[in-house]
Amino acid sequence: MTLRARILLGFGVVVLVPLLVFGLRVRTEMASRLTAEYERRVAALVAVIRADLEQQSAGIASRLAALTGAMAADNRFRIAALQGGDRAYLLDYAGNAMHLAGLSMLQIQDDQGRVVSSGHFRNEYDRLEPAQPRLLAAAPGGMALVQARTPEAPFLALARLDSLRLGRRRFTLIGGVAVDSGFRARLTRDPELLVSLALPTDTLPAADSAGQVVSELTVPFVAEGESAELQPARIVVRHSLASLGALRRGVNLAFLAAVAVTVAIALVLGGAISVRISRPLAQLAQRTSEIDMDRLDVAFHSERRDEVGALTRLLGAMTDRLRTGAAKLREAERRIAMGDLARQVNHDIKNGLIPIRNVFRHLLEAARGEGPDPLAAALRDRQGTIESSISYLENLATNYARLYPPPARELCAVNEVVLETIRRVGEVAGRGELRIELADGLPAVRTDPLVLRRILENLIGNALDSLESRPGAVTILTARGADGGRPIVRITVADTGKGMTGEELNRAFDDFYTTKPGGTGLGLSIVRRLVLDANGALRVETAPGAGSRFIVELPGETA
Amino acid sequence: MIPLHRQALFFGLLVAACHAPGPGVPLPAPPAPPAPGVAASDTACTITAGRAAGRDTVTIALTEPVDASHAPVPRNDAERWVFGQLYETLMRVDCQGRVLAGLAKSWEQGARDRWTFTLRDDARFWDGAPVTARDVLAAWRLRDSVLAQASAIVSDRVLSVPAPATPFQPFADPRLAVTKPAPGGSWPIGTGGHWVTGGGERGAADMLWAAPLPKVALPVLRLTMVAPNGARDALDEGADLLVTDDAAALEYAAARPEYVDAPLGWTRTYVLLSPGRDPPGVAALRIESLRQAVHGDARSAEESDGGHAWFTELGQCDLLPARDPIGAQARRHRVVYNQTDRSAADLAARLVALGVLGRGAVATGLAPTPFEAALRAGTEGAYVLRLRRRVFDFCRAALELPPWSSAGTIEPLVDVRSHALVRRGFPRLTVDWSGTTRLLPR
Repeated sequence: MTLRARILLGFGVVVLVPLLVFGLRVRTEMASRLTAEYERRVAALVAVIRADLEQQSAGIASRLAALTGAMAADNRFRIAALQGGDRAYLLDYAGNAMHLAGLSMLQIQDDQGRVVSSGHFRNEYDRLEPAQPRLLAAAPGGMALVQARTPEAPFLALARLDSLRLGRRRFTLIGGVAVDSGFRARLTRDPELLVSLALPTDTLPAADSAGQVVSELTVPFVAEGESAELQPARIVVRHSLASLGALRRGVNLAFLAAVAVTVAIALVLGGAISVRISRPLAQLAQRTSEIDMDRLDVAFHSERRDEVGALTRLLGAMTDRLRTGAAKLREAERRIAMGDLARQVNHDIKNGLIPIRNVFRHLLEAARGEGPDPLAAALRDRQGTIESSISYLENLATNYARLYPPPARELCAVNEVVLETIRRVGEVAGRGELRIELADGLPAVRTDPLVLRRILENLIGNALDSLESRPGAVTILTARGADGGRPIVRITVADTGKGMTGEELNRAFDDFYTTKPGGTGLGLSIVRRLVLDANGALRVETAPGAGSRFIVELPGETA
Repeated sequence: MIPLHRQALFFGLLVAACHAPGPGVPLPAPPAPPAPGVAASDTACTITAGRAAGRDTVTIALTEPVDASHAPVPRNDAERWVFGQLYETLMRVDCQGRVLAGLAKSWEQGARDRWTFTLRDDARFWDGAPVTARDVLAAWRLRDSVLAQASAIVSDRVLSVPAPATPFQPFADPRLAVTKPAPGGSWPIGTGGHWVTGGGERGAADMLWAAPLPKVALPVLRLTMVAPNGARDALDEGADLLVTDDAAALEYAAARPEYVDAPLGWTRTYVLLSPGRDPPGVAALRIESLRQAVHGDARSAEESDGGHAWFTELGQCDLLPARDPIGAQARRHRVVYNQTDRSAADLAARLVALGVLGRGAVATGLAPTPFEAALRAGTEGAYVLRLRRRVFDFCRAALELPPWSSAGTIEPLVDVRSHALVRRGFPRLTVDWSGTTRLLPR
């Protein structure tokens, strides 16, 4: 696991665990408190409904009492009911009385249970229904739910019983108010409280204790027709927990949003901190990976005062030591190689020169004789030896030339190589100011970028060395030129150093000539050879005390 | 500004007045009776006999709407009364079934079961044009093309018609009233004693005015539409004639000495129409108690004057073949009625209370249009219908029943009748065979 992943994971754990504990606790507490509140509300509503039913019952009783009084005083009703006249008045009586009394149900029966007049079902006269008053009389509190019949459909009524005596006959009044959806709606204004009525014949769905708070009260019920006994009807009050569920969902959503925001913030913060920590380490690792024996110019600088800064400085010091050791090793190898090469060349050339010297001595001895013939004869005699030696030397030169392979030729952007070289040289220079003036739109040149970089490194290095620790500047310029219609790229490395005398200039390109302490004397020699290999030209403009300008011109590629 | 077509109509009426016989001209004696009897100038069917000219304007209260587009074929009792004043048929039938002259002054039986009708000499349209045999056939062609095609013009005022298969009353059917289209498509031009002159004051749509033709001894008619429960209000507002079956209005009029309560004929019968051949068993119930279920004036259903109710004689008519629409099993336990008909609602409720369709059956009132649709479909348990007890052409009346009727059962329940509440001194008012009152000149 990477350092960055560990940092992020640590952030997540530290932030999320407390948040989760807090959220779960809030949900649990909220659910328990709301459920308790709902239970209190349901119980209160059940009490209100019970009181309301009792109030309704008292109202019905008072209206029935008023009606019995009016019926007793109505002579037209008395005649119609006892003597059989004015049947239309009798049949319409209950309807008119029911409307005047504000009832929804009114049935007048005689002492045999025969319907004399009915308000809610005018034309059910003469039907026998003795069971209803009998059961109503047996109902606790004298009140019951009655299923009343109409032509269109039966309806439920909260009914009571009353009676009056006319002459020798007793008449029973069953009156009530409709228990319809409006009645039930009046029991509660709270849309979250649901009041339903369950008759004995109904099959209510099982109470969902997880989704509802339920309570109920029982009311006597008289079914339509010849019902034998009172049955219990239930008024069920339910409080849906839907609002609690909605609240839970809201809390969950808010909690999830908080978690998401927290996670996002933690990720951003953790990412920033981990990047702040890991980036310098990654850069150090990258730079360290660039180090090898051929590439020891990697710089390690840091102004940080923390562990990363100390590590950077340690790596820098280690690289410096490696660089010094590598330089010493290269110098030793070079000296060994140069020595071996010099001895081999010396041996090989001597092998070629010894026969020639012998021939030359022979010729000198022949020349000291008299007349030209001995010399000519000796020359003819030793001509084959001379030619053989010359051929041997030529082959020798060719073989040495083959030790250096021809460079690669590819299209190369001069400015990019200049910048790359500046970057590399600049990191280790620290001896003077480097300036660059690069021209745009330069044509590409066909050469090995490594060769070009070596040319520039040598020239810039010499220019910096020429400053000799004095204030000065080295300027690298690129420009486009032409040579007989062909484009050329001109690279100028100018310094403000000590410059060269004419004698120094004449020997500047000789092998092993150097004016610097510790120099090999091969730098400019190699530069010239590399420029010539690239089909280019090298010029020098210099004067003592006025600095030097080394101008390299390389053929450009036509577009 | 009087519209152009009314100016033309007024001019026509003036011309007709110059040529019409005077008001004192008696109706011609009725021809030899092809039907039950000869109308006499007796008072058997007369309700009131005040002087026609005694009052210039009389107010008629109507409890149902009147639509000019229905003329001359009425669709309710109010239209029947109004159209009866405006349009004439070849003959009339009085309350006792006696045939009276109408547009035709005489008729006689011809050869090959044909009858020849001779039009009245003074018969004219409202615009003054004389009524010809061609006009009669043109009017019939609009509403009974078969009869018109079978009839022939003998002369300008004589036409020959085939003898009807049923009793002779079809020629008094309002369908065969003689009219001609009016310019502008308003009230058809008729030949009756009144013509409609327009709406009431300030153009009220609930009032019509009908003026008598010139030199006809009839008052101007002010026809006011009252709400179904506004009968007593109409009396208080000075109605001269109100035909109603509202018990409260009848009771109220009894306390008003200026009004005479004249019961009209038992002209309506309520029946229980049920699909299928298995009757709901009304006869087994206490059917006599049905009479008390209805708020209006009712009696137990009785047979018609001819011996049987016309709706039991449908076998004589060329109706569609008997077919039970859906079968008995699919029917619902509902007694359905037109919810605008209170007596039908009372009867349906009583039938449910008596358990006609069994326990659990209900009565359901439907608005007129859904009721008609349900009746045509025949998918309900039973229907409470109000039928005319006397019809001029029972085969044609049978067409108003649903097609499946001949495969169903029709059981009469109660007969009902209306009462004419007439202000004393009202002009001569008679009752015709259909129970409709008619204003006649003296």
